[in-house]
Amino acid sequence: MVATRLLASDAPYPFRFPLNISAVDMTEERLLQLSSDNGDLRLELTAKKELIIMSPAGGMTGWRSGQVGFQLGTWAKRDGTGIGLGSSTGFVLPNGAIYAPYASWIPRSWWDTLSKEERDGFAHRSPDFLVELRSEWDDSAIFQDKMTEYLENGTLLGWLIDFPERLVHIYRPGQPVEILEEPDTVSGDPVLPGFVLELRELWQGI
Amino acid sequence: MTTAKQPAVETYTTLPYRLVLDINALDMTEDQFFKLCSDNDDLRLELTAKRELIIMPPAGAITSGRNSELHGQMYIWARQDGSGKTFESSVGFTLPNGAVLSPDASWMLWSRWNALTEAEQVRFPHISPDFVIELRSPSDRLTVAQSKMVQYMENGVRLGWLIDPQNKRVYVYRQDQPVETLEEPDTVSGDPLLPGFVLEMQRIW
Repeated sequence: MVATRLLASDAPYPFRFPLNISAVDMTEERLLQLSSDNGDLRLELTAKKELIIMSPAGGMTGWRSGQVGFQLGTWAKRDGTGIGLGSSTGFVLPNGAIYAPYASWIPRSWWDTLSKEERDGFAHRSPDFLVELRSEWDDSAIFQDKMTEYLENGTLLGWLIDFPERLVHIYRPGQPVEILEEPDTVSGDPVLPGFVLELRELWQGI
Repeated sequence: MTTAKQPAVETYTTLPYRLVLDINALDMTEDQFFKLCSDNDDLRLELTAKRELIIMPPAGAITSGRNSELHGQMYIWARQDGSGKTFESSVGFTLPNGAVLSPDASWMLWSRWNALTEAEQVRFPHISPDFVIELRSPSDRLTVAQSKMVQYMENGVRLGWLIDPQNKRVYVYRQDQPVETLEEPDTVSGDPLLPGFVLEMQRIW
């Protein structure tokens, strides 16, 4: 007899914590299999080979994530130069980290070069644009470091929406981080021409 | 823990009481599991026979104090008795079913310990202790603790005590016998396996 499985959903609140996994040669195939074997958890891998083990998102974060993904996807479809990706997409960054931002966008010119198998696996690049959402359970410093890491690995525009502090941190390569206090909208120009994320409803919550 | 890249301490408190990760995908060897444990020495890790990694946060102070008390009582008896060796909670034993478990306190006959190679002794030896004590912490589910005891008994442990401080109960597991439940006992006796060992429960409740 083995120990009863305690699902992540039994946790009293969402969690995220690191496990140093450097003892194992952590390949992409293994991470994909590991993710599939532990479908109740979300997993990421840092460049330092820490496995980040996360519970499912809380309800409010899930709703916000869906809203951001919907707005981005709607714009991307109309714009046509790229595709919007949802929160379950894994990106293998050049530094070896494998992250899954809440919402992201990649150019169609790149996507079209991929084989079917490549499209089914993790995306091998840093997304051109991404959005991360910080909820009250998340450590702000971890997200800020992660945004910097995306930029160092090729991202052109990143938004960190910090709901507890009601701030949007805007990351662009070679520029200081711009911080907006509870803006009604954020513009994606010039990386995403014409994309404007409406935030009023997201700040209010549901 | 002090550099900016490390998660803040608060992040660890957001770990649920006990997390199960299926690690079959990792094909982890014994050496790799040993390294994993030393690389994450702020966590308590166990491995089930089904290759699930059990990740537990550090014990709370009350639980740790109780642990120290029961290991201390056992150690004092074992030194006088002389027939066996005690282990505290950071030990790992590789059971015949492949699980690597860490009882809160355990005891093994010297004759069995000395039969292990030194290479085995410094790792998670392939042997079941003769006697184990598990202490239920406030966050542990009773059913999980009980199934762990059953697993010990199925893998050769001869006597096991599960101490449940919340309910002031002690569950006594013996080979081929039904589990005995003691309600708020003052003492628990280890006879005949541990002759003369009497655990004083007042200091643990």
